[in-house]
Amino acid sequence: MNAAFWILSAITVIGAVLAVTLRNLVHCVLSLILFFLGIAAHYFLLRADFIGAVQILIYIGAVAVLILFAIMLTHNVTGTEGPREVLGGKWWSGLATAGILGVVIWWAIYKDQIAAALPSNQKAQSSVLEIGRALMSEWVVPFEIMAVLLTAALIGAVVIALEEVMRRR
Amino acid sequence: MSIPLGHYLVLSGLLFVIGLCGALTRKNAIIVLIAIEIMFNAGILNLIVFWHYKEFAVLTAQMFTIFAISIAAAESAIGLALVIAIYRHYKSVDVDEMQSLKG
Amino acid sequence: MDELVKQQWLIPFLPLVAAAIQSLLKRGQRKLSAGLCIAAIGISCLLAMRALFATLGGHAGEAHEAARAIWNFTWFEFATTNLQLGFVLDPLTAGMAAMVTFVGFWIFVNATGYMAEDENYTRFFCFMSLFAAAMLGLVVANNLLLFFICWELVGLCSYLLIGFWFFKPSAAAAMKKAFITTRVGDIGFFIGILTLYWQTGTLNLYDNGHGALEQADKLAALSGWWGLSMASFIALMLFFGAMGKSAQFPLHVWLPDAMEGPTPVSALIHAATMVAAGVFMVGRMYPLFIAESARYDSHFVMSFVMWVGCITAVFSATIAVAQWDIKRVLAYSTCSQLGYMVMGLGAGGLVAGQFHLLTHAFFKALLFLGSGCVIIGTHHEQDMRKMGGLKKYMPITFWCYLIGMLALAGVPPFAGFFSKDEILLTTFHRSRLAWTLGTFAAFLTAFYMTRQMFMVFAGKWRGGGGHGHGHHGGEPHEVPWNMWLPIAVLSAFAVFLGLLGTPFIGDNMFQHYLAPEGIAEHEGAGTVMGLSIAAGALGILLGWLMYGRKTLQHADDPDPLEATAAPLFTVLNRKWYIDELYEATIIRGTVLCGVLFRLIDELIIDGVLHGIVWVTKAISQLLRWIGDEFFINGGFDTACEGVRESGGLMSRLQSGRVQNYFRLLGLGTAVLLVIYFWKLNQ
Repeated sequence: MNAAFWILSAITVIGAVLAVTLRNLVHCVLSLILFFLGIAAHYFLLRADFIGAVQILIYIGAVAVLILFAIMLTHNVTGTEGPREVLGGKWWSGLATAGILGVVIWWAIYKDQIAAALPSNQKAQSSVLEIGRALMSEWVVPFEIMAVLLTAALIGAVVIALEEVMRRR
Repeated sequence: MSIPLGHYLVLSGLLFVIGLCGALTRKNAIIVLIAIEIMFNAGILNLIVFWHYKEFAVLTAQMFTIFAISIAAAESAIGLALVIAIYRHYKSVDVDEMQSLKG
Repeated sequence: MDELVKQQWLIPFLPLVAAAIQSLLKRGQRKLSAGLCIAAIGISCLLAMRALFATLGGHAGEAHEAARAIWNFTWFEFATTNLQLGFVLDPLTAGMAAMVTFVGFWIFVNATGYMAEDENYTRFFCFMSLFAAAMLGLVVANNLLLFFICWELVGLCSYLLIGFWFFKPSAAAAMKKAFITTRVGDIGFFIGILTLYWQTGTLNLYDNGHGALEQADKLAALSGWWGLSMASFIALMLFFGAMGKSAQFPLHVWLPDAMEGPTPVSALIHAATMVAAGVFMVGRMYPLFIAESARYDSHFVMSFVMWVGCITAVFSATIAVAQWDIKRVLAYSTCSQLGYMVMGLGAGGLVAGQFHLLTHAFFKALLFLGSGCVIIGTHHEQDMRKMGGLKKYMPITFWCYLIGMLALAGVPPFAGFFSKDEILLTTFHRSRLAWTLGTFAAFLTAFYMTRQMFMVFAGKWRGGGGHGHGHHGGEPHEVPWNMWLPIAVLSAFAVFLGLLGTPFIGDNMFQHYLAPEGIAEHEGAGTVMGLSIAAGALGILLGWLMYGRKTLQHADDPDPLEATAAPLFTVLNRKWYIDELYEATIIRGTVLCGVLFRLIDELIIDGVLHGIVWVTKAISQLLRWIGDEFFINGGFDTACEGVRESGGLMSRLQSGRVQNYFRLLGLGTAVLLVIYFWKLNQ
């Protein structure tokens, strides 16, 4: 099982790296999908089945497609730019900031003993049934709020993306 | 499975930093949004990791994760809609060009 | 008399008031100005006469001290000392005051005629009043301070009046010369006053035993400087002032030039009064002069005085022989007669000197006024060569002038004879040599006066050749009454005044009046009298021989004296070249000093000043460069630059680019994390 962790971690990391470094936008999205898959696999590995499934459904099925749509709509697909055109102004400051934050995170992780903890041996309560039941009983208020949020997001996205079209008409 | 917690934390941290690099470095707004998605996922992974290692008996983390994923999805939808709207105005998705709110 | 002395101050005060009022008058108010002047001096004359009679009545025959009344008062006090002024009434003062006011009165009357055509009439009489006030103040003063103030005032008025027509360059030069030359003498005078005050502690001359002159014996006992006793030293210093004011050799050079002023001025100031002030001063301070010789029988100062007078008398007489200006002859004559007076005083004859002063005032004023009449009558002609034969044109002037001339020449029984004779007698007893020279000067006096008489009044009229000055032009005429009346009055005095001091009547009344304790010396009087008559007669004879027998025919005929001894004549005519000598030595030396000092001023003093200025400027530049430029400006500029740059830096934070904000967010998060975990650790 350890090997699975390492392989899956490698896949995930590679997917993430590729997603941020490739020039062609569609290639980026595709590697993003790979990344999502890796994360989902990790979820499975961590015995969070439902979440893994949700990850695949939502991220890969919806978000990635959405990104593709956006790419199509912005007409900026070309992959022939050099590094200069790809990178933003003063990109090294961004890299440095990320580096600093990385160092801080590394230090935060390894300064205590927590990093050496092993997984617990308790029985998992991760069946879909349980989750569904919890969602409708304990967590119903956040559930409904989420619904409202999603509705608002939907309407908002439509309004934002549509406005120009309406005006042009 | 006897992976120490630290390894998973390093993984999520690494993924987070990668995403941050991308967000801070790339010129294309859509790539920035992609990178933000990566960061999101890294953070949500941390939730499940900690659930797995500590609170295995309780479902709270999974609930949290469901809601987080939903919110992330909503956010990405809005973000992309914004990018499209900006593209329509600026005729490009270059973040360097998006400097002023005034049109 | 003690009450009368308290009113002595009125005598100088009235002319002073007149002068003050006249100074405010306008040019057109001529009659008022002259009227004020004459009225003031007239009243002063009456007051002086009253004082004179007071001194005559009863006390004159007594001892000297009883005949003197004084009145001292405090002028103002400061700290521990107080400044006093004082007036005196004694025979010397009374006589002088009476003479000055009387003669002055008639001179003022004459001046109304002489200055009739002048446009500065009012100013003239204002100055004359001021002069009269100053002279009278000098005469009645019992106090050295008052005396000195009036002495200087008299000099000032002389300056103003000599240069009355200051627009003439010669007059302007003459007024300066007079003032400066008398100033030279006044230096000694001032030193004398200071020393006297210092040694005696009082400025009052007579003060009931404490006065300066009353301490003469004490001063004679002290030893002063230059090997003299204190009294003699002070007397010598005071005499220097007299040398300046009374035109003694070598400070005589100003008197002839002073003839640039109007003739009444010459009559009043340079014949009768101001020049007599020096002689009067010696007479007033006589106790100091004779103090030493009385006790210690060493005669230095008195000899000095006598010889100065003698030299002056002879010297001036020689020059008068060769002059052509009618007033110049009289000026040198005055100089010579002053020399006589001083010689007499130096020989120990106080009475003789003062008597001659008195008589000389009358006949010299007479002669000057007469010459003024001649000048007016010949329409402002002053050169004797252009005159002649005026006897028939101006008879009154002629007869009065003749009387004056005889008086001056020492012809008995006219005034000048007795007074001059007294002097010669006194000198005879002191020094035969001085007496010989004095008699020679008497001879010369008679000679040049005869010469003048013949040149001016005898023969035929030589003038009028192209000199048509005045409205009539041509023939001379007699002068109006306000000009010949004064000379007539004065000529009467010139005739009879001498009788006051003659030994034949009352054994020299004047002597008894002025100095009763002195004894008039009679030994050798006959010899002296005879020889002086002979000298006078000889002079007149020679004058008649050279000028009278064959009078000059034309204006440009050579002077007979010049024809006989041309080089001698030139020397005498050019005044022994004394003026040229002074010019070459003293004046040039003074100018050189001035140039030297100016050089010092420019090089050294200005050099130092410029150096200081340069150093100051350099320091200020340095400070400006270091302090201001470097620190203040530099610091300020740097600070401003810093603020601007930091502002520029800060503004970059607000780039408007989201990615930048994001980067900052990341940095901030890192920092927060560090802080959080650190705190967590603790």
